[in-house]
Amino acid sequence: MKEGVMTRFRNWIPMPGSVGIFTGTIMFISLVLAGLIIPNFGPFKANDFVGEPFASMSAKHPFGLDQLGRDVMTRTFAGVPIDLGVAFLGVSIPFIIGTIVGIFLGLAKNRYFINLVGSIIDGVNAFPLLVLAIAMISFFGTGLQSVIIILSITNWARYARIARTRAIVVSQQNYIEAAKTLGYPRWRTIRKHIVPNVSSETIAYALSDFILVIMVVSGLSFLGLAATPPLAEWGSMIAEGRSYLSQAWWITIFPGAALCWAAVSLSFIVEGLSRRDGGM
Amino acid sequence: MSTQQLVKIDSLKIDVRITRSLRLAIVDTASFDVSKGQILGMIGESGSGKTMLCRSLVGTLERRGAYIASGTLEFEGTSLIGISQDQWRDIRGKKIGYIPQSALAGPNPVMTIGAQLGEAIRQDRDFPKGKIRERALELLDIVQIRRPEVVLKQYPNALSGGMKQRVMIACAIAQNPKLIVADEPTTGLDVTVQAEIMKILLDIRKNFHTSIILVSHDLPLINDICDDIVVMHAGSTVEKLPSSEITRSKHPYTRALYNSRIDLVEPKGKLVTINGQPPTVGKWPLGCKFSERCDFVVEACRTPQVIPLFEISPNHSSACLRYDEIGI
Amino acid sequence: MNILEAKKVSVTFVSHGQKIKAVDQVDFILPKGQTIGIVGESGSGKSTFARVLSGLQLPTSGIVTYNDEPIQKGKRTYAGALRSEVQMVFQDPYGSLNPKMKIIDAVAEAVKQHQSVSKEGARQVALDLLQSMGISNTDAFKQPRSLSGGQRQRASVARALSAQPRVLIADEPTSAIDQSAQAQLLGLFNDLIKTGLSIVLVSHDLGVIRYLSDYVYVMKDGIFVESGKTAEIFDNPQQEYTKKLISSIPGRASSRKS
Repeated sequence: MKEGVMTRFRNWIPMPGSVGIFTGTIMFISLVLAGLIIPNFGPFKANDFVGEPFASMSAKHPFGLDQLGRDVMTRTFAGVPIDLGVAFLGVSIPFIIGTIVGIFLGLAKNRYFINLVGSIIDGVNAFPLLVLAIAMISFFGTGLQSVIIILSITNWARYARIARTRAIVVSQQNYIEAAKTLGYPRWRTIRKHIVPNVSSETIAYALSDFILVIMVVSGLSFLGLAATPPLAEWGSMIAEGRSYLSQAWWITIFPGAALCWAAVSLSFIVEGLSRRDGGM
Repeated sequence: MSTQQLVKIDSLKIDVRITRSLRLAIVDTASFDVSKGQILGMIGESGSGKTMLCRSLVGTLERRGAYIASGTLEFEGTSLIGISQDQWRDIRGKKIGYIPQSALAGPNPVMTIGAQLGEAIRQDRDFPKGKIRERALELLDIVQIRRPEVVLKQYPNALSGGMKQRVMIACAIAQNPKLIVADEPTTGLDVTVQAEIMKILLDIRKNFHTSIILVSHDLPLINDICDDIVVMHAGSTVEKLPSSEITRSKHPYTRALYNSRIDLVEPKGKLVTINGQPPTVGKWPLGCKFSERCDFVVEACRTPQVIPLFEISPNHSSACLRYDEIGI
Repeated sequence: MNILEAKKVSVTFVSHGQKIKAVDQVDFILPKGQTIGIVGESGSGKSTFARVLSGLQLPTSGIVTYNDEPIQKGKRTYAGALRSEVQMVFQDPYGSLNPKMKIIDAVAEAVKQHQSVSKEGARQVALDLLQSMGISNTDAFKQPRSLSGGQRQRASVARALSAQPRVLIADEPTSAIDQSAQAQLLGLFNDLIKTGLSIVLVSHDLGVIRYLSDYVYVMKDGIFVESGKTAEIFDNPQQEYTKKLISSIPGRASSRKS
């Protein structure tokens, strides 16, 4: 209720973690805004050749020009929707699949079903995400689309494990038993009482997973397995700039800094949240 | 003539650091003494400050960001305020033992009972290694654990709540401390187990002249076991009296606590409750903190002031402005 | 007339290949309009038995009847309209309410399930019900974590009453809340008794049992060792265990400082 929020604001004793959440959110939002504004409304376009290759930083090109004469600043921020966007898909799809499967598993009674699906989840989870992704690229081929598909197939298992444990705990709570004695239909109990209390935990995981997936996407692109030039994506930009590190370090460093900025801002948020009292 | 008190607490104030600039008082004025061999009960609702007082006696205030702001806290004549953790190590466990609430802390789950008792015994570095097992068995015997040789080898998960608490008592008395601070030691345990543990504490006092501070929210229990009672409300000591005088209490809060005892009420009869809730920390009213809930309140009670403990007799003091009008 | 009855009810659990008899061939009756107490310490089986009575736990053997009709049909209990007749209040005030739901929504959901009202009507009924439990309108819009243990318990009772039950099974309702909240809740139960509600009160707290019950069953290790009118059990216990239990109450025995 609105009234509650405003009174809380007025009687604000800083809760633990608030600094982190605030800082992180500001940082992240500013990155997203820059990513939306600069590539679309700035003076240059990401793939245009606008000057001498390897030109150093100047007032006209604050981040300098890359090896093909493209404006590094525009390209860096053009990477925002790509990296963050792909990462978002690489998190939200597994989140949805994993939470649903996990809840199903947690509530299931059939021992064979539980063992079967449980083993699949454990098996998939045994592999580090990046390794598994590289392995599957040989099967699906390279490209950002493949990466999203691969993440959807593999990353869901981590969410499923969390959702499953949580579903088991929640289903044993008194309020779920009360739903039984009050005669609520099973599907409504699941929808209204179990799902919200399970997904709060998978959402929390999704936030930190986001950071990991950004890294995975950039990492794969760096290896040339995901995004390919001329796409303005941080990982591939970092890779391209590698050979020119001593003469035109800005080609690599600025996309790298953007990557760090994204990861650090999200880390601040995640850590700030984890410092607060967790609700059940 | 007067023997030195074992514990002397006078006008003690404990604050807690919320942020760098924000401090809240958790204990406002606590004043009471403990003499040798005395069992003192401390009673109060949540927020009364009783747990903080326990922590101040075993030196664990720092950990919670709390510290003593003013007042006197003396043990055996020496002040405990501002002493170093090294100095605390000589006191904690050796001179002042601690028994925690059973649900909150217990024996270390990954150590055997024997190992933990051994640790408690070896706090005395000079204790002969060969005699440790013997002493451990002796301690288990004092807390009336049957088949102690078997228990020594067991892990806590094999023990019931009551047995675990007895082990905690055994660890607390390993060094023969002069004082034991027991913070709600039987809360959450079955009533028959509680009776057994109380008997153990009484025997310890009888045989070793150990003083005990027993903290509880259960007045009948405190009344039954303790020699004297300290009543805490919203961080202040509001009354100190011998338990035999409980029916002649001179403070409205103590009276209300007594009258709200369920075992005194007729089945399905009218239950007496204390109005309102204890004031929350940080929002204490100026003047008497019980004034909002008191049936006996007058204007004078609300005027900003620190209400002193009026001495009614050597053993009985009350922090009520109208103490002499109560119970007439 | 006995509204709820249990005949030779047993509940056996299997754990690590071992059979544990939590409830062992127990007979029990709840006469209409009365409050029956079941007192026992931890491990006595009283909570398991309470859950059998409320239909949450299927007995391994034996039968439970409501108004002389068996409550169990196949693997289901209290089918159809019967379900609203017997409701339960649990021990843990926090776990009893959905932490993500405002309590008014939690109670309104129950009202809507059992009373023929609109969604708005249900909210109003819920508000009134919570008010009668001493929960203000402002508090009704809060989530459980913003309320005290006593308030949460009363909200749980409100939710249970939304079903307009004839029987309320209370499993340790006062054990997790502080003294003053306890007194408030007991006063509430008192009022409910006057409205004719039949209550099964399960508790380890002898004071609470003595205060509310007409008749008491003493449970230990899955069986009732003794039963009788409240005054008789407390003033004149017959069995060894009952005597031990009563004498453990502070103030009752000569456990005083020596």
